[in-house]
Amino acid sequence: MMNEVQTTITNEEVRIALSGRIDSNNAHAVEEEVLAAVAGREKLPVRIDAEKLEYISSAGLRVILHLKKSAPDLCITNVNSEVYEILDMTGFTQMMTVEKAYRVVSVEGCEEIGRGANGTIYRIDKDNVVKVYNNADALADIQHEREVARIALVLGIPTAISYDVVRVGNSYGSVFELLNASCFSKILAEHPERMDWCVKEYTEMLKKIHGTLVPEGKLPDMKQTALGWAKFMKDYLPKEEGDKLVSLIEAVPHDDHMIHGDYHTKNLELQGDEVLLIDMDTLAVGHPIFEFASIYNSFIGYSEYDHETVKRFQGFDFETAKTFWNKVLAAYLGTNDEKKLREVENKARVIGYARMIRRSIRRHGLETEAGKAEIDLWTGELIDLLHSTDSLLFLRNEMEIEAKSERLPEVLSFIEQHLEACACPAKLRMQIAIAAEEIFVNIANYAYAPKVGKATVRVEISEDPIRVTLIFVDNGKPFDPTKKNDPDISLPAEERDIGGLGIFMTKKIMDDVIYEYADGKNILTLKKEL
Amino acid sequence: MKNFPKKIDLHMHGVFSDGTDTPAELLRHIKETGITLFALTDHDTAAGCAEVRRLLRYGDPDFLSGVEFSCKDGQGQYHILGYGFDEDAPAMREIFEKGHGYRVSKLRRRLDFLKETFGFSFSDEDVASLYAENNPGKPHIAKLMVRYGYAESISDAICRYINQFHTKSEYILPEEAISAILASGGIPVLAHPSFGRGDEIILGEQMEGRLRRLIGFGLQGVEAFYSGFSAKLQNEMLGFADRYGLYVTAGSDYHGTNKLVRLGDTNLPDGGNYPAGLCRFLSELSDRGKIRC
Repeated sequence: MMNEVQTTITNEEVRIALSGRIDSNNAHAVEEEVLAAVAGREKLPVRIDAEKLEYISSAGLRVILHLKKSAPDLCITNVNSEVYEILDMTGFTQMMTVEKAYRVVSVEGCEEIGRGANGTIYRIDKDNVVKVYNNADALADIQHEREVARIALVLGIPTAISYDVVRVGNSYGSVFELLNASCFSKILAEHPERMDWCVKEYTEMLKKIHGTLVPEGKLPDMKQTALGWAKFMKDYLPKEEGDKLVSLIEAVPHDDHMIHGDYHTKNLELQGDEVLLIDMDTLAVGHPIFEFASIYNSFIGYSEYDHETVKRFQGFDFETAKTFWNKVLAAYLGTNDEKKLREVENKARVIGYARMIRRSIRRHGLETEAGKAEIDLWTGELIDLLHSTDSLLFLRNEMEIEAKSERLPEVLSFIEQHLEACACPAKLRMQIAIAAEEIFVNIANYAYAPKVGKATVRVEISEDPIRVTLIFVDNGKPFDPTKKNDPDISLPAEERDIGGLGIFMTKKIMDDVIYEYADGKNILTLKKEL
Repeated sequence: MKNFPKKIDLHMHGVFSDGTDTPAELLRHIKETGITLFALTDHDTAAGCAEVRRLLRYGDPDFLSGVEFSCKDGQGQYHILGYGFDEDAPAMREIFEKGHGYRVSKLRRRLDFLKETFGFSFSDEDVASLYAENNPGKPHIAKLMVRYGYAESISDAICRYINQFHTKSEYILPEEAISAILASGGIPVLAHPSFGRGDEIILGEQMEGRLRRLIGFGLQGVEAFYSGFSAKLQNEMLGFADRYGLYVTAGSDYHGTNKLVRLGDTNLPDGGNYPAGLCRFLSELSDRGKIRC
């Protein structure tokens, strides 16, 4: 065996560690060794570990090219910058995967500040944190997370973007700048009095995520992922219930709004007075019900059998977790109506249980007594829920949206869903839509001009008599549309003032139009009895 | 439209330089590989070409005589290939002798060095057979050292011992090689251009400067298809060939078992649908009656 070549063969790969210099003096012998190492192992991927490779000449390049011909999926890792430069100049980096050597970082003794499905986050110094991936072969994951975090940032979601990839033990980590931040779990655990503040910030961020429209194809579709869980579950549920689970998820319409996918309080950081999202690798698009399934699991689901789970994971107790969940659900849906809250919670649980059961089974949960008991508990609940659930859809009472006229269709569809739910007659639906359009476009055009701000649209439906209330809120310039003089519609067209007609129509259509200015907000309430 | 050979390899070495195939073995391997046009390009000698030509029979692949000169001047080192020359032309004979003389003198100094520094000596018979080699180089001495147990392997012999010998060697100048090839009716081509003497990496402006200098001496072609070239190097070279109207050739640099390069491995797609520079090269040789196509 030559000093320059060390071959390790596992079931997964042929790893060839090269060291020193590969030039015309030894290229021939190196080539003989590497070709002998791969001979007869054509099915295994071949990786050159170049950690100790100092120099490569053209004779060495030829060795690599020949190896590539017998091992088409050849990749080279741990390449130092000099060797990388040669490989890059000569076009080898385009022919095969060439990975640079990474700075080595130790997390020994570092504070763990976050933990997600795919990795753990440690603070390595006062300004920087590193996310260490569970998967040893994490470079593709890191690349993915960088990419989705960048997409999120461009779309206006405050998040930290990694600026470096490092080696941590046998795995990889990505390094982020995160100055003096503390995660929401820590705040909740150490300052129970800040519960309501946490709920407010957490919910606002959640609405912001769900209000973000993602260009098609940029992020994976959560519905497809959930369908995968449901199909897996068919083997573990009675036929009727299994089919129903799949058809319930199939019936959720495609939604191009963002969801985080692992939105728990360890993934929300307070840095100064800014709230930042981290752990972006699960970012997807889809209906918010999929998000709630995962949130339910984080705070309650995983701890239903063993209440200590949430304490171990988040640092606060099960009671705190339940309270937090309920408050977030109420704040998000914009209602305290217990019936409505439980209804949405049950829809979230349907997907949540499917996910947890599948996860536990895949992690050999059925092979231990505790695992079996947990799976039995969740399966029982899931079957009961499937009997009483006919749709996974729910309506929020409130939406926050960028005040831009392009976003009007989303506002109208939001209102439309509520009107449909209370069986509002078609003619009235159209009239209400006209009024809503007038108000929203007005905010879009004038409230923040020339800048763009947010608008909140709230829909309340009261029963007996059925009354629809629409509330539009913006933080823009104070403006009372009700004060605007009605246009003189008796004048011939050419003599009329342009404008003012919209609010006039709104007043005509609705029973009541009330303007208020409070806390720096324009609040316009429209009421209509059906 | 000419009917070009379907699979070609124009750069290989046999026992007359540092390869391991005898002419008969080489011909057999060429036929096994399905190559339809080949050139033997030993270092500084065409002795093997005459042998190969004697062995050729009706129906055998087309053969082109070739040579590879190792050249050096104040600006660097170059390997220059010559194709289709008259092997007996005085200009060729002169340069072969000159090259051989340099090598023999180098061999003598190398053997002296090994004896003085490490105490390695060989039987008179083995030394005589080294001198009898057409082109005795590092591998020949190294092989002998392994046989005598002075080194574990050829590369060990070369790295640990032979390369300790540093001397100002005499080399053929690139303009000498190019002029000799031209004067004997051949076409001079720069071997593995991006790799210089074989162990450098020369790209971009530096490569272009080198080419312009050699074109000034009469260089007519570049080996743009080479077993060790990535697509990027190949494309850069094809670009230079276009810009300067150079011929294009394709070669593996096969050395038998002395290198693991396979015959025919030139990165040139088979089939005869070749880039313009290569078509012009083949047509020119065909017009001169050196190959049939």
